[in-house]
Amino acid sequence: MSQKKPVTFQIGWNACIHCGACVAVCPQKPGFITAFDTIAVDTLCDIACMACEEICPVSTISHINISSNESTPKMQPF
Amino acid sequence: MSSKIYDIVVIGSGPAGTTTARVASNLGLKVLLVDKRQELGAPIQCSGAISRHGLEAVDVLPDDEFVLEKIFGFTIYNQIGEKKIIDYRKLKPNEYGTGDDRNPLGFIVDRRRFDRYLMTQAERAGVEVWLKTEAIGYQTCNDGSCEVQLIQFNKNISIKTRVLVGADGLQSQVGKWAGLQTHIKLKELASCLQFVVDGVQTDGLLEIITGQRWAPGGYAWVFPKGHGYAEIGLGVARTMTQHDARWHLDHFIKNSFFKERFCNARILEIQGGGVPLASPLKIQYADNLILVGDAARHVNPITGGGIHTALQSGQIAAIYLAKLLAGNQNPTKKNLKGYQDNWLDASGNLMWKLYHKKTAIFKNKDITLRDELLFETMSDYFSPNSEYKKI
Repeated sequence: MSQKKPVTFQIGWNACIHCGACVAVCPQKPGFITAFDTIAVDTLCDIACMACEEICPVSTISHINISSNESTPKMQPF
Repeated sequence: MSSKIYDIVVIGSGPAGTTTARVASNLGLKVLLVDKRQELGAPIQCSGAISRHGLEAVDVLPDDEFVLEKIFGFTIYNQIGEKKIIDYRKLKPNEYGTGDDRNPLGFIVDRRRFDRYLMTQAERAGVEVWLKTEAIGYQTCNDGSCEVQLIQFNKNISIKTRVLVGADGLQSQVGKWAGLQTHIKLKELASCLQFVVDGVQTDGLLEIITGQRWAPGGYAWVFPKGHGYAEIGLGVARTMTQHDARWHLDHFIKNSFFKERFCNARILEIQGGGVPLASPLKIQYADNLILVGDAARHVNPITGGGIHTALQSGQIAAIYLAKLLAGNQNPTKKNLKGYQDNWLDASGNLMWKLYHKKTAIFKNKDITLRDELLFETMSDYFSPNSEYKKI
């Protein structure tokens, strides 16, 4: 469930059915979205509520924890 | 920037957006409708059920172009398969049926064809429609209008409009731009999955299967889908189960009292979505901006039905805007509140009441009692005497 450490999300595109549920439940600011109507990937999420992972009907969203001593992944604009 | 000023620009060409656009154009407004997709209706995130009344109320006649199957009623099941049948062919045989002088109660529509049909009707009413056009932001202007930024085939376009209508669905970005409180709680968004299948018989009824065992926090369904196909799906509240919707759907197909009926099911399509079992947005307007349909969460909080409610809110919005803009009043937040008030009077207040009823059911910790209440409430909702008719 909810955690405070920032994360970046990853989507297993093979299973994604582009249902939009992850975006619908996401409390992030506008634009935290990909061109495929999923939550943003490779972009830091500092809310880390994990609602997107939970709502996914096919469980195809995962995340990487980003702590201060880990290297930050490349940031991409949405 | 184009020098043209539109009366309204609608973002999103689904049932709510197309209806807003079509009705507004018929009432004399200059309307632009944009959608980021290249084909409407897809990917399908919806089972496609709508009442005949819901269509007729907004002057859309059932058409072979989009109707997949005629619906005549409902069967509500509890989790061991005991059922209540509400078949209008039997309840009101003079009114409902397949004969020339009989009507269906509703339809299952093909959302790809339905949304395109609605867009066509809007275009024929004079609406300008741009596909492959994504809206990325807006600012209010000093002259009482607003400016909307669009991208169309990689080209940036800026246009002016008096009102921006957000019809961009449950994932609405337009509502977020305006700073509206659009966030939906995880426990109030059903995680849904459905298969369109061959090899499962149906009989013109929408079948609703309740019970924690099959769909915790939601329900399962079997709908006729035309051409002899059926649709088997379910929605679950993820706060009430350890498993995802896919696990539950598999479990339902293999282990429920329908396992014999489903044993020859062959999957033809896989679809999913988040369906709000939530309240409407408390504030659905801002300066130069209103939300309609799913974006405003105009969705039945017990059934998750949202097509008829989207059509209705589009019509209410268009009529309100036509009157407001004809009166030379600026579409300020204060002046747009009337849209929401009209919507509350027409159906929103009853939708709120239904939401409170739903919340009370799921507050019960006793699962058996909760299951009984949901079965009873669903059965009442679909009965001919329901106070929530048309919601």
